[in-house]
Amino acid sequence: MSKMINFKIDGKDVTAAKGETILQAARKNDIYIPTMCYISKTSPCASCRICSIEVTGVDGFILSCNTPPTEGIEVKTNSKALEAERTNIMKLYDVNHPLECGVCDKSGECDLQNMTLEFNVGHQEFSAKDQVRKVEDWGLINYDPALCIMCEKCVHVCNEVIGDDAIEVKFGGYSSVIIPKGSDTLDCTFCGECIAVCPVGALVSSDFKYSANAWELSRIPSTCAHCSAGCALEYETRHVGINGDDSIYRVKNNFEYNSLCGAGRFGFDFDNKAQKDKVRFDKAVVAIKSANAIRFSSIITNEEAHILQLLKEKLGIKLFNEDARLYGEFMKAYSSISGKLHHSASMNAIKQADAIIVIGTRIATDNPMVRYAITTAAQHNGAKIVYAHPLEDALMKNTVTQFMKYEVGTEEGVMALLANELLKNSDVDEDTRAFLDDLDLGYLEAESNVGDDELQLMSKSFSRAKKRILVVGSDVFAHKRAKNIAKLVALIEKYTDFSLVVVPTEVNTAGVSLTCKLDIDENIGNVVAYNAQGDFIMSSSKDADLAMPALNQVEGTVVNVDNQVLPLNVALAFDGYTLNDIANALGLEKENTIDYTKELDTSKGFKSLAFDDLENFLSSYGEDKRGYILDEVSCEMGSKVEPIDDLPEFNGTVIYNCNPVLQFNEFTNKTQQLEKDITLRGSAQFGAAARISDGDEVEISLKNRVIKRKFKQDNELKGTIALNPIFDIGKDASSYRFEKSKIVRVI
Amino acid sequence: MKMEQFNDRNVADNGYFLVDIEDYPTDSWGKFKRVVKRSFKGELFVGLWVVMREMLRFDIHTVKYPQEKMPIGPRYRAVHEMKRLWESDTERCIGCGLCEKICISDCIRMDTKIDENSRKEVSEYTINLGRCIFCGYCAEVCPELAITHGGEYENASEQREHFVDYDYMLTPIDTMKAKAQKEFEGFGAITPHEDERVKKTPLSY
Repeated sequence: MSKMINFKIDGKDVTAAKGETILQAARKNDIYIPTMCYISKTSPCASCRICSIEVTGVDGFILSCNTPPTEGIEVKTNSKALEAERTNIMKLYDVNHPLECGVCDKSGECDLQNMTLEFNVGHQEFSAKDQVRKVEDWGLINYDPALCIMCEKCVHVCNEVIGDDAIEVKFGGYSSVIIPKGSDTLDCTFCGECIAVCPVGALVSSDFKYSANAWELSRIPSTCAHCSAGCALEYETRHVGINGDDSIYRVKNNFEYNSLCGAGRFGFDFDNKAQKDKVRFDKAVVAIKSANAIRFSSIITNEEAHILQLLKEKLGIKLFNEDARLYGEFMKAYSSISGKLHHSASMNAIKQADAIIVIGTRIATDNPMVRYAITTAAQHNGAKIVYAHPLEDALMKNTVTQFMKYEVGTEEGVMALLANELLKNSDVDEDTRAFLDDLDLGYLEAESNVGDDELQLMSKSFSRAKKRILVVGSDVFAHKRAKNIAKLVALIEKYTDFSLVVVPTEVNTAGVSLTCKLDIDENIGNVVAYNAQGDFIMSSSKDADLAMPALNQVEGTVVNVDNQVLPLNVALAFDGYTLNDIANALGLEKENTIDYTKELDTSKGFKSLAFDDLENFLSSYGEDKRGYILDEVSCEMGSKVEPIDDLPEFNGTVIYNCNPVLQFNEFTNKTQQLEKDITLRGSAQFGAAARISDGDEVEISLKNRVIKRKFKQDNELKGTIALNPIFDIGKDASSYRFEKSKIVRVI
Repeated sequence: MKMEQFNDRNVADNGYFLVDIEDYPTDSWGKFKRVVKRSFKGELFVGLWVVMREMLRFDIHTVKYPQEKMPIGPRYRAVHEMKRLWESDTERCIGCGLCEKICISDCIRMDTKIDENSRKEVSEYTINLGRCIFCGYCAEVCPELAITHGGEYENASEQREHFVDYDYMLTPIDTMKAKAQKEFEGFGAITPHEDERVKKTPLSY
């Protein structure tokens, strides 16, 4: 650890680590310095100048937000002159600020209001000619320049954390405004983080606008249920109209330290409505009793997965969940080399990394939070980011330093090449050395299309890096050679300083793989489905034989990409039956689903903590107090990497099953605000190869299904791989995400 | 004001005197005498005579409710009213929700939305008069002097719940056109000479 710097703030001795600013040190020691534009997760905007301080012996004011302390200085956070300076700044902020606090959507949660009152600005000495400022409608986001105080938080967040870089400041003194970057209207992934960080009501959600006040809304802290990031969020609920049931009005997050993507922020209305229907319930109980198997999706809590496992043991039925099973197999193979049950790194580690390899995932749409973490690493640490994938991603363009294109299906070869390159100078055991020496590099490079020069370039750019991370995504789970890929990944983690993040597919893929003993999905009859396909369907989306609660209507826990067990809470009541009711009817006896939280398998790293003992918040210093992190479990190792198989070839028109931005599954598809683009998106080259053009209705024949789509030519794409959304049709987790297809135009 | 006169418990010095009340009879003979005395004195006719005298003089002080009603003071707090702006006849309510928040008997509920002019609009508004205790907080907190109390106190109803809605409370447009809207002078209303006390924002341009 580097040396600590000792200095004084207001007579109190404080220490700061190297790189920390005076403001950060002050905040850590509970010393208050007012700020207006500062936000912890970005670099300082330094636009407000309210955080000015005095240092004994130094003339003038110093900005505490971007000044690191030096040894022995004495900082004063308050004096007459500072007070006058800050009051004047607040007066300037208040010039012509519309006095519409009564209707403003901030409804009192306003930093400007707070600070105006704090500095007691009761009258105004300054004036400026006001100008016409039109409210801009940017789709899901509304911008009112009249309310904007130009703190630039939104711009910094968009650029440094999200990576969209979609907005910028149009400088013009008093007439400065925020504008979409390089286009007339906002063209971004609509994460809505700019709304969250806006200290005034300038950037607001179009849907929420003027519909409720902050004080009327009940806040329910929970976890986002859309992808494996498991972001912290707060559902805010209120009665609808003057006499209606409760409904979610908006979603908020702790923007100071955390982020949230648009699916979490705008896709909250996926709740299911149902009444208790005894007849259907009895049918469900009978169906499970006589079923051969239960097929379920990973959009489920650990507790419910545990119930299913108990039912399996009690009734001797099979459990099908290909998504979690394949993830589990992958992790098992990984464990057999690494000796650990869980991968080593987290999203926080990614944020701090300075060298990152992303492979086997279109990360920006698969798991936006991992993408934000990568962006943060690139922006704050200058991290070198190698993005290995058959398809380039325009969303990652600004962050990725090296795009490593490989041929579809050659992940095993690419991983072997990476292992060979990264383990070059490592002290590996004999078997591994023999394996590496046996690699036919020429063949692998030729087939995978990853050249030696690319690998050299990567090594060179990583040479000075200290914290390195390998991010592996869901492309490889259903790969034919998934197990061997996992072993190669484990080798890299074991013998280099790379730590590993494996990004699970669904919100609780990791949790299900740990809680349930899953069977290989067979095409057998008499299958009860829970949020899946089967003969008797229990589902929280529409058209079910028995309606079940959605994940914003249940209590329970999920395991996210950080191996953290996160609590979900009930935002909206569900009047129908839950899985626990069925389990009770079948002889399991627990009053509530969350009574099972304590019983989760401790041999897999779960702690025997009761649900009600799990916290769900971030402290004011940004410490994550949500649930707990799975205990590390040692496993038996000693398996060996198999020789690399022949690399497969995918020719012709290949489909990549990949959702558009902000869409993940049938639940995001149900929400009202999120865009639902179900077109097949491909390049002009793809269109030419498939003999289709923009706007054509096409029929896509895949291995085991036929899908009808409209073709949309996307000029940001290249090559003969098209993106096929799956959020509307449900995913087939058992097959590799790239599929050979036959595409016919339908007239 | 001095508290002296209230603190002085020496009643005799302050002009208080005891009323000369005859002791109640204790024996049966005394009680019998009292009955006879009261029965034949004709006190009843004294009262009747007073009534008849005043009737003949046509000097009647009774209000013939409900044909007649007493004027209500301007600060009286009865059923709420929603006022309009004098300048434009539009509704004053901006939908800020403060009345709903401050209401201590939780009888106000409202819903707002964005209207076609991108302004906040009150889409639904009810007051449950069955719960309302007419405390006047809503009128006091209203920043626009939109919700006020009116003089309409006749709100008997057949059931405990009794709702009034926005349209019922809103000043009718005809009344407004006739400039007949009455301002509320009660708690929360503008005090006289308010204009002189307001500090204006400097306009140097």
